[in-house]
Amino acid sequence: MSFDATDITLSILKIAIVLGGMLSVTPLMVWVERRGSALIQDRVGPNRVGPFGLLQSLADAGKFILKEDIIPAKAHKVLYTLAPMFGLIPALTTIAVIPWGRSFVLPETTVFGRRLFEGGRLFEPIIADVSVGILLIFALASLSVYGLATAGWASNNKFALFGGIRASAQMISYELSLTLSAIGVLMVSGSLRLVDVVHRQAGYFVLFDAIKLPAWNIFPMFLGFIIFLTAAFAETNRLPFDFAEAEAELVAGYHTEYSSMKFAMFFMSEYMAMATISSLMVTLFLGGWDIPWYNEPPTLLGFLFSAGAFVAKVSIILFIFVWVRWTIPRMKYDLLMRIGWKVFLPLAIFNIMLVAFFIAKRWI
Amino acid sequence: MTIPINYFLILSAVLFCIGVCGVLTRRNGITIFMSIELMINAVNLTFLAYARELGSLHGLIFVFFIMAIAAAEAAIGLAIFIALYHHRNTIDVDEANLMHW
Amino acid sequence: MFDLIVFFFFAAIAVIFALMVILHRNPVVGALALVASFFALAVMYVLLDAPFMAALQVIVYAGAIMVLFVFVIMLLNLQHQKEERTRPIQQFLGFVSSAAFAIALVYYIIKFSVVRAASGPFVSDARAIGHSLFESYILPFEMVSILLLAAIVGALILSQRGQSKGAEQP
Repeated sequence: MSFDATDITLSILKIAIVLGGMLSVTPLMVWVERRGSALIQDRVGPNRVGPFGLLQSLADAGKFILKEDIIPAKAHKVLYTLAPMFGLIPALTTIAVIPWGRSFVLPETTVFGRRLFEGGRLFEPIIADVSVGILLIFALASLSVYGLATAGWASNNKFALFGGIRASAQMISYELSLTLSAIGVLMVSGSLRLVDVVHRQAGYFVLFDAIKLPAWNIFPMFLGFIIFLTAAFAETNRLPFDFAEAEAELVAGYHTEYSSMKFAMFFMSEYMAMATISSLMVTLFLGGWDIPWYNEPPTLLGFLFSAGAFVAKVSIILFIFVWVRWTIPRMKYDLLMRIGWKVFLPLAIFNIMLVAFFIAKRWI
Repeated sequence: MTIPINYFLILSAVLFCIGVCGVLTRRNGITIFMSIELMINAVNLTFLAYARELGSLHGLIFVFFIMAIAAAEAAIGLAIFIALYHHRNTIDVDEANLMHW
Repeated sequence: MFDLIVFFFFAAIAVIFALMVILHRNPVVGALALVASFFALAVMYVLLDAPFMAALQVIVYAGAIMVLFVFVIMLLNLQHQKEERTRPIQQFLGFVSSAAFAIALVYYIIKFSVVRAASGPFVSDARAIGHSLFESYILPFEMVSILLLAAIVGALILSQRGQSKGAEQP
């Protein structure tokens, strides 16, 4: 394993781009959420701060920083302070294994009289191309349970504890359906690396010898996609599965006792988890960075087009998250657990058998 | 340069003995249980170290099965602790000293 | 060189958090420290050329078994349990015997372990493990699945006893 300065510089550049993207998802999503919800509810939404209320997130951030930070008297101080960070860590680290653009060859250039990228250097827009990419995502996603449970327990508040336990139970129930519905994708692509998954979706299905359908995994595995989408809502605690916060039921659930920056960290980690799971959904089912009916060349322009396509697809999924939140009401918690175990888990297993059938008949 | 296997074996021995110490000196049932899990993980590390050393996959499969069985054991053990707590309102293992009451 | 730095850093994390598990009064802090220790062990597994097992370690141990522990501790409100101090003679004997055991183990490991030359690259990806699991080890695989079923049924029954007898559970 030999690194040289170019490797390290490129990695730092990639990390900077991805981190910048993730950290700016939260202000953008807050604005989209508030204006989008206003659109759906036939009202205007924030429009005072900046044109179209675009600077509202800045005002929110200022409010969070300037508010008083209260720690309850009997709370466990160390765990109370660490709990928001437990939520941030999985959200920020899982994005490291997702490919967000087409790899291209950096041509040999001469900068300030020094030759860079001798012989052409392959730039792969993925921070960590591990051989077990998908498993790593599920591993880190399963750690996000601890943030909620610890926050609920450390607040020394019965409502917070109930909210935390309910949210944790819901998350581990739907983790199973999430993982099993992704196994269909693994069976088709034959590899655990996400780069291979995206490459497999770059072809076409030829129907009736005339229509070329892009070979995205959503088309043969629509059931798997629906299960994944629902489990993603349950994993990120978004409506209709937001029993963790459950406004008007549990005061504010697991973050009842949190104020100012710690609450802002929970807020941020929820939106970042949304962005990560949307990126995962796009990579597994919607073809990743692939633009349909267009062969991106392995150059800088092709990379920029593919990265733009990736961001566009993730934005569509994020808008679907907002849309569903303000459209579908929240049901009861025991109904949620019931369908999690009795409906989605058997459906996910059935999806595996269906995909195996398709592969055996060589339709995929 | 690969790390010599001795380092992993020593780490595994240290973790195992920390687990043994936890089992022998604590009275809280859950903490004893967690020390047992620590011992199981130390053994996992030894298996994987030797699997890499001998280049054989059998060590990996062993670890796979150990993880599955440890999960089953954790579930049943915690269910027993819940039942004990409901009866005696304590999980101090020194209090669970009657065979039948 | 880089490998050694990573190894010592995460070995130190594993040992320190393991000590926190056995020494801290509060079981919740002990459970979270054990999660950190398992995470450090997963990094060890990556250093041993077994990334699949590392991911499995985090998914199964840190992500499922420890969640179970944390649930049980939080739901039973066990942090308010006054754990009495262990009898001093038991503490002394426990520490001394485990320390003696540790010293003996380390001594014999250093003295007797045979260091071979590293053989070829170690193929441990999912494909090889899958082949091995479903070809040579198919019988233990099926037996473990039945064992897990027995564990689920057993846990369900054990945690029901003690609640209202005869009342129909929804």
